[in-house]
Amino acid sequence: MPLINLPAFAPDLVADLEARGTERVDTPVIQPAEPFLDMAGEDLRRRIFMTESETGKSLCLRPEFTIPVCLRHIETATGTPRRYAYLGEVFRQRREGSNEFYQAGIEDLGEPDVARADARAVGDAIAVLTNRLPGVSLSVVLGDQSVFEAVVAACGLPAGWQKRLVHAFGNQTQLQRLMDTLSNPAPSGIFGPEVERLAILGKLDDEATLIAHIDATMEATGYSTNASRSPADIARRLREKMELASTRLDARTLALLREFLALELSLADAPRALAAFAEKAGLSLGEALARFESRVAALREAGVDPSAVIYRAAFGRPLDYYTGLVFEITPERDPLVLAGGGRFDRLLTLLGARERIPAVGFSLWLDRIASVKEAAA
Amino acid sequence: MTITIGLPSKGRMKEDSSAILARAGFSVVAVGNDRSYRGRVEGRDDIEIAFLSASEISREIANGTVDFGVTGEDLVREGLAEADARVEFCARLGFGHADVVVAVPEIWLDVDTMADLGDVAADFRARHGRRLTIATKYWRLTQQFFSGNHGIQLYRIVESLGATEGAPASGSADIIVDITSTGSTLVANHLKILSDGVILKSEACLVRARKPEHEGNPVVAEIIDAVRGAL
Repeated sequence: MPLINLPAFAPDLVADLEARGTERVDTPVIQPAEPFLDMAGEDLRRRIFMTESETGKSLCLRPEFTIPVCLRHIETATGTPRRYAYLGEVFRQRREGSNEFYQAGIEDLGEPDVARADARAVGDAIAVLTNRLPGVSLSVVLGDQSVFEAVVAACGLPAGWQKRLVHAFGNQTQLQRLMDTLSNPAPSGIFGPEVERLAILGKLDDEATLIAHIDATMEATGYSTNASRSPADIARRLREKMELASTRLDARTLALLREFLALELSLADAPRALAAFAEKAGLSLGEALARFESRVAALREAGVDPSAVIYRAAFGRPLDYYTGLVFEITPERDPLVLAGGGRFDRLLTLLGARERIPAVGFSLWLDRIASVKEAAA
Repeated sequence: MTITIGLPSKGRMKEDSSAILARAGFSVVAVGNDRSYRGRVEGRDDIEIAFLSASEISREIANGTVDFGVTGEDLVREGLAEADARVEFCARLGFGHADVVVAVPEIWLDVDTMADLGDVAADFRARHGRRLTIATKYWRLTQQFFSGNHGIQLYRIVESLGATEGAPASGSADIIVDITSTGSTLVANHLKILSDGVILKSEACLVRARKPEHEGNPVVAEIIDAVRGAL
């Protein structure tokens, strides 16, 4: 297939990726749509090009490379660690810009030294971009969901709320709205009339009675055979919800969370700032902070100057398979994302890998790099 | 230029929309026999009637083949991206009431709000090995409501073109998004509407295609004013 609009620097870029100890892989352009929709949610449907096979199987044009590369890894059952590189066309419905464009990148699967693998991903992305864009100043922003998780856990919030907050992390509006709701003095839980009736009958008092009641109702209504949520599931969460109904996010915790989320500073100063925050707040961030520090050290070893990287505490991706590091590289004073990456330790098991495979990677937007290159020339 | 109004081709919706137009002073008659899909307004050569199936009306308004249509707001908002930029809802006609709602099994005692549903959806995969599934024919409305209004991403839609209320009991989906007018079908199927789960309160509307040539057209203005006056 002739490659239209492939930037002239593509061969150099591939050579550069391959020189970083990677194996070049290709994946079919036409992919099963299910894994993408399953991982990213139904909202993705509007943004990809979907079609159907003759037998009714949902297919789509490859909207990105991470999932196909991971699926290929699982299918070929090659061991880890592996470093894969790719360059190819991806297809997305975009308001602005072309619907088909090139991406390249590296997926680093199964490296047990997390700090080292994180640092290598950031370092490789910066180096590869710098090699394509000599003389262009780049700005690197880094975030880490696991630090937020540690803060939320250390605040001693109920498990249900921790889950909600972590789930909303990366989506500013959603997170703000959630924090407002949780701190609102209005009742935070709404219970239906049936729950009130059960409360009067005393059927909520212990879990076994409640489970038995739910089970009997399911039987009576003919729902049980296909019920996805078991009586125990429902009873457990109902009791959780009742415990939370009278609790709310106190002003001090809310202020702490806000203070944390507002942190934005040089990565070189971030470990000290986080430690100071934790000490002042009386929180123990232990492990998460240690991992954060060792990543900064690993970045230095990989030749990345942490003082040239911005750490933004609120930066994350609201997808449940991103677990830690996220980063983005843009030209200085320009919001155009040239490279984006992160750690997705949960993705491979979600896609069907038998064992947990830690993974980190990044992808480059070739059309954007080309436009910056042109403007700089 | 002739102004074309698309009307439902059968049933209650056909009778009710003809009645409103008659009250507004536009008496609709079929061209040829009663089953004909073309109609006209008595004494008006500048207005044409096209009888269409309810679901086609929103599409015909969108591509501009008709200037006006009488159809449910739910069908327009489901059928068109950025509906408000492409059509104008000129009048709500007071019939064809139906709410598009999120309904879950009654026995989900712990789920009464979208926030509850968000919690359940978030760890559904970890507990059940798959995403939460929603049976619906309202793809667009569901996506907008779940992702846009409530930040819920992790669910899958299972298309359902009929008997959607039966999906949770038959195991083909966990919850549903569907229309209801009285709620009795939901109750009969042991489903309950979430307290903040009304996506849209729909009814039949007079809908205008936003066309530049409507600007300053006296017939367009006359139709809108007359229908509003007849309510």
